[in-house]
This record gives sequence, C-alpha cells and structure tokens, in this order.
Amino acid sequence: MPTLHELQRSLRRSIVERETTAAAAQVIGDGLTPAERLSVYRNTFVSSLTNALRLCYPAVHRLVGADFFDSVAQLFIQEQPPHSAYLDEYGAEFPEFVARFPPAAALCYLADIARLEWAVNRALHARDAQRLELELLADVEPIDHGRVCFVPDPSVSLLRASYPADIIWRAVLAQDDAMLSAIDLTEVPVWLMVQRLKTGIDVIRLSEPAWHFAAELCAGRALQDAIDAVPTIDAPALLAEHLAAGRFIGFSVTDVAAAAQPLGSSP
Amino acid sequence: MMVTRRLSSQPAATRTQRSLIPAQAGVGLRFQHHQAVVDERPEVAWFEVHTENYMGGGTPLNYLDSIRRDYPVALHGVGLSLGSAEGLDLAHLERIRHVVERFEPGLVSEHLSWSVVDGTYLADLLPLPMSEEALDVVCKHVEQTQTHLRRQILVENPSTYLRYRHASIPEWEFLATVAERTGCGILCDVNNIYVSACNHGWEASAYLAALPPEAIGEIHLAGHTVRQLDGGYTLRIDDHSARVAPAVWALYGEALARFGPVPTLIEWDTNVPPLEVLLEEAAQATILLERAEKETRCANAA
Repeated sequence: MPTLHELQRSLRRSIVERETTAAAAQVIGDGLTPAERLSVYRNTFVSSLTNALRLCYPAVHRLVGADFFDSVAQLFIQEQPPHSAYLDEYGAEFPEFVARFPPAAALCYLADIARLEWAVNRALHARDAQRLELELLADVEPIDHGRVCFVPDPSVSLLRASYPADIIWRAVLAQDDAMLSAIDLTEVPVWLMVQRLKTGIDVIRLSEPAWHFAAELCAGRALQDAIDAVPTIDAPALLAEHLAAGRFIGFSVTDVAAAAQPLGSSP
Repeated sequence: MMVTRRLSSQPAATRTQRSLIPAQAGVGLRFQHHQAVVDERPEVAWFEVHTENYMGGGTPLNYLDSIRRDYPVALHGVGLSLGSAEGLDLAHLERIRHVVERFEPGLVSEHLSWSVVDGTYLADLLPLPMSEEALDVVCKHVEQTQTHLRRQILVENPSTYLRYRHASIPEWEFLATVAERTGCGILCDVNNIYVSACNHGWEASAYLAALPPEAIGEIHLAGHTVRQLDGGYTLRIDDHSARVAPAVWALYGEALARFGPVPTLIEWDTNVPPLEVLLEEAAQATILLERAEKETRCANAA
C-alpha cells in the first residue's frame, strides 16, 4: 500500500505526464478500466487550464484559431503546469513558450501579442492600491528631489514590441478585418505602457526615450538617476503626466550614500 | 459508523455560524451575472462566490463590495487542497485569509479532496484514499485552516469517478469523523452524493443518514451530465452544466427532512445561463425549504 504522498505523485504522473501505470494499479476498475477513470481527471485538468489560458489570451486564440490554440495550450500545460489554484497568476510563461514554438513562427507578431495580453491580464488582476497623494511629495525639500524613488502602481507594466502589437491587438479583439489588413507590419519597435484605470485597461504608446525614463522610475531608480539615464527628455512634463495618471503609489528618499553620490561623498 | 439521530431537534438559528447566511436559497454568483445583480438587485436570499476569483484586485472586487452591501455572502474555495500529503500551501492559505478579512463572509468552505502535489496544482478536486493516513492529514489541515482564519470552515463532500484499492473507511464516515475531530461543519452537496452514489453503487439515502445533522452548515445543489461509455456503462459527471436533476431534488427533500432547513445554494459553472434560470432553481429550493421549516416547527411544538 503506497503512502498518501506516493499515491498523489502517481496521480500527478497520470494527469500531467500521461504515465498511468502506477496510478492505475491503485484504482478499482469496477466496469471500466482504471485508465478510463483516470482520464476523467486528466480531461478536467487540461480543459480547465486551457480555458484559463483562453480567457487570458483571447487575441492569440482568435489569431491562431481554436484547434491550434488548444494544441499549443496543451503542450504548455504539460510542460509548465500551475503551482496554485490562484489561476489569475497562471500563464506568465506562455508568451515565451509561443515564441519558441516552431509552428507559430509563421505569425511573426504572435509572441508580441501574447506578451501584451499577459501585461493586460496582470493589470486586470493587480491588487488595488491608493495612488500617491501629491501633497506628500510637496513636503520633500527641493534639494532632495533628485533622490526620490517612486513605487509604481502594481497594474503598471512596460513592454517593447517588435511589431505594432497594440493596433493588432485592438483590431483582433474588435474583429475589425479592414483595420487588420491596413496594419503596416514593417518591423519597427513600439514602446508600450499598460495600466489599469477606473474605466478599464489603458494601453498607450510612448516615445522610446519616454519609455526608458518610465522604466527607470518604475524600477525604483532615483529621479536624478532616471533623468541622467535619458537626458534628452522633458523630465518635469513626463513626471507630471505619470503623477496625474496615478502611476505611482508611494515614494522614498534614498540616502546620499546609496544614491549616485552627486556630492562626491564617501560611502 | 457514527451514531446519528433520526431528526435534528436543534432550530436552525442555534447551529454554528449560520447567523449571517439564512436557511434560505442562495445562488452561486459568477462574473457573467455581476452587472445584472448590481443593476437589478434580484430577490435572492444570499450569494456564494469562489474565493479564488477574488484574490487579486480590480473590477471583481468592486462588484462584490457593492453586492455584499445588500446580500449575505459566503466564500467557497476550490484550491486549498486539504488532503495534500505535503502540507498546505501557506501562501494560498494567506490569500484566503485576505479575502475572508475583506469580505467578512457568513460561511467559508473548502473540499474533502486534494489538488496539489509537489507544488503542482492539478486543477481538479481529486479523490482521497479513504485511509487513516488521509484522515489524519485532512484533520490536521482543517485545524490549521480554522486556526489561521480564526473561524470554523465547512468541508464539502466531492463527486468522484474512481475509488482506490486501499480504502478502509466509507466516505460518509470519513467526513463525519473530520467534523467530529476538528469541529468543522459539513457542506453537504446533495448532487455530489447522488453522482458518487450512482458512479460507485452506493446507497445515497444511507450516505445522508450517516451525516451528523448538527454539523450540516450548508447544502449545495447543481446539475450534472450522464456520460455513456462503452459496454453500456454510464458515468455521471458533476459539471454544474444543467438544472438540478429530479432525482437530486428528491434526495434534497430527504436531506431537509433529516437536517431541517439549511442554507441551500444553486451552483452552475458550465454554459452559465441567464440569472433568471438560477433564480427559478432557487425558487424551487425555496418551496422545499419552506416545507421543511414548517415541519421543523411542528416537530419542535410537539
């Protein structure tokens, strides 16, 4: 008689890896084969996770069609099953899986669409957070402004796409064939920011320097360091826009030693 | 086998943790119906939601915030995996605690099953071997959950499609023992009893008769499908895809006669119909609940 853990491991092999021998030996047939009984659970595993991926990646699903989507999803599920029942977090690795999936190579922009859909999914389910109150920033001494590090809203993410993923995504979800066929697929990078607003998910395009500046700030870099990294931008205007759009939820002021040592102080 | 009384003599209100969820018919709330419920405020006694669907932020939480202002709400978890040999996923338990603290549900429930092994979630409510080892594991995890959440939980009997060779305890006795040892309540899914009884040749009435009435905190009702297999064999699949079957309504009548009126939920998860259909099912449950209420009153007066 196997221990509970051994039994559960054999079920996992049957359900995920389709190796039923060990599990079947523990199951009573009772009119069916043990494998038939086990297949009920495998079917639920595959269909519920495929459904979770379909909900997360509706544009990829429309672009490749149901049969293709189901087969790539099943391969992904088998290779990278979820770790918990909190399935809103499941599927983060799907875009890279699609990018490495040879049959998907014919649709050059597919992985970009998948990455955008994951950013949208993240934004949809990100925890609620209070936006940064500007009065709190007003208390920072002007001499310390360069040392302010912001905390981004959990729904905000930045991504670079090789193709106009934002336009393709909108056209596919709107099922707008005219718009879709008018898209210029020349490989020119687009720089996107995704955020959840009260009214829905916002996907906006930034200029390349503005995107880098936002990326520095969202990574928690001190304001002066972010400005130094992208010196060509209008930093005050961009910062004001981020603050007005509620993209930050907090900030801290780094100490001089941890910052870029503008005063030449010793560590 | 547990020794059980023929009929509960306790009025529903004195039973554990029933105060917030009335002994009336509720409906399982799915995303499709969020807007309809907010707009129309339908006449239904309470709602239950899946805990896992409210673990993040955004729109679903806003809807539930609004809905719970007007209706009692229960939380029903599908992923804690009380029967995992490797122990509970503490991150998941903590996520559940956050949802419980935020929405202050009238009831919190999980399943007598497992779904996680070696850190992999198998996306189904898998059957446990009915062994002493599994009983100890489940009891330990129910206690751990109740301690962490600082409240009683209900544990639901699953639908199953297989039995293991090494099973020493009947499922009904296993469930009753978990309730007895841990002080948890029982969520009696009448459809699941029917499905499992048909699939395994059990006597559904005997299953009900073996459950301790005072531990029953909630009843679930749902539809299932009958799958025809080779050799004339049929397997009933609990896919929550249809109206409650006539035989399950009959079994529900038996359950109410035995347990008295209990908060009862209509569940529907596959091809979810318009809210009106769920309300019709709830109205059917209400007829039976009112009859049970009357009979309990008569029994108490006698």
